[in-house]
Amino acid sequence: MATAEMKPIDVPDARYLRSSRFSRIVNVAGIYGIAVLFIIAGAVLQGLGVINNFMTTRNFLNIIDAVALLGIVAAGMAFVTYSGHYADLSVPTTMALTGIVTVELLHYGFVPAVLAGLAVGLLIGAVNAVVVGRFRANPIIWTLAMSYVTMGVIRLVWVNRQIYPDVQTDNLRTIALFDGIFRLRLFNVVSLPVLLMILIMLAGHFLMTRTVYGAQLKLTGSARRTATFSGVNAERVVGIAFLLAAFTAAVGGLIITSLSRVGAWYNGTGYEFRAVTAVVIGGVTLAGGRGTIIGVIGGAFVIGLMNNIMTLIGIGTFSQDMIRGAIFILVVGINAKSLRSLGRDDA
Amino acid sequence: MSEDGPVVALEMKQVGKRFPGTIAVDSVDFEVYAGEVHALVGENGAGKSTLMKMLAGSFNDYTGEILINGEKVDLHTPSMAMKHGVGMIYQELSLADPISIGENIVAGHLPRRGVFVDRAALAAEAKRLMSIVGLDLDPDLPIEEISQHEAQLVEIAKVLGTNPSILVMDEPTSALSRDEVERLFAIIGNLRKRGLAIVYISHHLPEVFRIADRVTVMRDGKKVASRDIASLTREEIVQMMVGRSVKEFYSRAERTIGEVRYRVKDLSRWGFFHHVDLEARVGEILGICGLSGAGRSELARVLVGLDPADEGTMELDGTVLSGSGMAYYLAKGIAYLTEDRKSEGLALRLSMEDNILSSIVPRLRRGLRYDKRLGRTTVRDLVRALSIYPTDPAVTLANLSGGNQQKVLLAKWLAGGPRVLILDEPTRGVDIGAKVIIHEAVEKLAGAGNTVILISSDLPELVGLADRVLIMRQGRFVREMSYEQCTEESLLLAANGEESA
Ligand SMILES: Nc1ncnc2c1ncn2[C@@H]1O[C@H](COP(=O)(O)OP(=O)(O)OP(=O)(O)O)[C@@H](O)[C@H]1O
Ligand SMILES: [Mg+2]
Repeated sequence: MATAEMKPIDVPDARYLRSSRFSRIVNVAGIYGIAVLFIIAGAVLQGLGVINNFMTTRNFLNIIDAVALLGIVAAGMAFVTYSGHYADLSVPTTMALTGIVTVELLHYGFVPAVLAGLAVGLLIGAVNAVVVGRFRANPIIWTLAMSYVTMGVIRLVWVNRQIYPDVQTDNLRTIALFDGIFRLRLFNVVSLPVLLMILIMLAGHFLMTRTVYGAQLKLTGSARRTATFSGVNAERVVGIAFLLAAFTAAVGGLIITSLSRVGAWYNGTGYEFRAVTAVVIGGVTLAGGRGTIIGVIGGAFVIGLMNNIMTLIGIGTFSQDMIRGAIFILVVGINAKSLRSLGRDDA
Repeated sequence: MSEDGPVVALEMKQVGKRFPGTIAVDSVDFEVYAGEVHALVGENGAGKSTLMKMLAGSFNDYTGEILINGEKVDLHTPSMAMKHGVGMIYQELSLADPISIGENIVAGHLPRRGVFVDRAALAAEAKRLMSIVGLDLDPDLPIEEISQHEAQLVEIAKVLGTNPSILVMDEPTSALSRDEVERLFAIIGNLRKRGLAIVYISHHLPEVFRIADRVTVMRDGKKVASRDIASLTREEIVQMMVGRSVKEFYSRAERTIGEVRYRVKDLSRWGFFHHVDLEARVGEILGICGLSGAGRSELARVLVGLDPADEGTMELDGTVLSGSGMAYYLAKGIAYLTEDRKSEGLALRLSMEDNILSSIVPRLRRGLRYDKRLGRTTVRDLVRALSIYPTDPAVTLANLSGGNQQKVLLAKWLAGGPRVLILDEPTRGVDIGAKVIIHEAVEKLAGAGNTVILISSDLPELVGLADRVLIMRQGRFVREMSYEQCTEESLLLAANGEESA
């Protein structure tokens, strides 16, 4: 062997360590900081008399309930984005179908109906998991197609009807339970959706950062080929991400259906885009492998507050959509820019 | 060079670039003449790539001055660099996969007719540029259908399309076979005649002596010297690179070779290799030699379960391997270090620690939890054993120099304590010192009673390390040589199908 003395290697590089950990905390804190800024902005607008009723308990409860619904859906969506597959566009129809099926089956009892609803949602997720995970279809095109198919099924079977629980045949107590359950409030404050959001956030965070699955997902999302060449079953890893997105969409579908007391094809409309926006401004990059669920929930808070303030100001729905779209493009643009400078690195 | 002295095409004056924690390039003066090939050499992490990225407009915060053809320029973005005639060929290819060769080559300046792309003009322009690099391919072919070597030439054609006066190549030959290197050299010679200033980064000194007119040596971010290549010896260059003299010789470590560990019988994958038999023993380093396209990497992929075999059996310690999928083979202790570290070996966006641990994720489990801390000592020991720099496990891998990335790749596979490790070009892009370290690690692994299968185009590496070498040609093993029979010449002849006596 050749002999060569190597340069000393014990150069402490603690600066790297600190800066990366620090910046991660700043990133997560940052999105909540923005949420706080929105609250301050709302308060100031109210002080100036531009809006009314922002700083009221009632309004905050509204906001937090809306955030809970969006946060739950976004938490599952985040796994898809994190896996490097951008978004699951079949989320809105998954929400709608889950709700419709649950309402239709309420006469079998509350628990069977809810389980059946969730099962239908997961079924959609399973199809996505196989087609995108295993056969590597383009996730955007495929889930878009999936949402059309699902919508087709809904239109075919239920036409354009809104599905109400059947007071004739269904047990009235079951109906009351389904209509009321997500309105329950612990200590008159924390509603069940909020509790669910917190649970899902913690479970999702644990799954993403503290499990073997999470580590494999991170590798797959950052460099899929490398993951395969490291013995990771990338097909399975990606498939599970789509199942998770379908699961949280189904839970979201139950909530929205219960709160509106009606199963309908339009329940969930717009949630795919709102969820991806929450995911992306919450710090999960479209390129995959980066971000946290806690950040995503922060993203949901920002969107919830923004929607609320825009509505109070009296900005119309179309304008709101435009503003949300613009913010999405802005954030994705900034991300893409910083990633591109990274990707240019070479030997 | 003309009689009135060389024309200075590029002049960098006191340029510098720092990253958090490192000064990658420190007050360097660098001059390149028109019509010369200027080699840039130095150890891993010396700052070669960073200096050239500065020129290519990758950084907007470099210090110092850059003059091109005597005129001071700001190179703060890639497009500014391109406008001033800088063409850069990175080691990893930047071609877009599904689109055609022609579109790739002409991407920056699509010929138009009105609002439409002028397809005929596009094809003609692509053909013209390809002919400069000696390629005759259909411009409509998608990029994914051509070989890596052709893709590299396409990349050069693409850069030539921007009319550069300065052409930078960062380790262009590390993925090429010998023939391909010869062809590349012929092309470089041609471009030199056209008056281009060519900067050529390489760790392979024999190449540098063949192709370069002058050489600049860098060490620790500083320039050591720029000289005419004719005035230097190999030893002098190495000494300038490492700052001391290095004795380079191979001495075979004594190893005891035991039972057959990995036995392969009659293995085929149609179209790639056929009826291959192989026995690799405990404590053995078994070399596989062949030209590119001989089927070596494809064989490796089947040996580790990445691709299925069409025929034949594989046995580990006498038991037939019945499972499929890489995870199964990995669990049995069979690992594969790929030749393509960028897209198959590493996740450049993740940390060094995440990369090293990526091969053993399922083992770092405490109850339900994945706990990286269980791998912390493994990472620390490997970083130390392989002298990886920087030493901080949390550093993003993209920030490491190419040679250090290669060491991380080896560390990733050593982390699992493999019983059979298949290495595919393990010292690609590493400097002399790092090569020694990698070789020592490989010998140590074999010495500890494991089996190493070494696929390499680096003949001195095979001659120096392997106990036995199998020669592969057109998908078959055609010969076996013991290490006593192995010399660079005998291997080369055998691989080319010219039997030596
Ligand atoms: N983006 C970055 N962030 C932080 N440090 C970096 C970055 N890029 C390079 N470095 C550091 O700068 C130094 C010089 O790296 P460079 O890539 O220029 O080396 P090199 O001479 O090309 O080495 P090699 O032969 O291994 O490719 C190294 O210490 C490297 O770790
Ligand atoms: Mg380099």
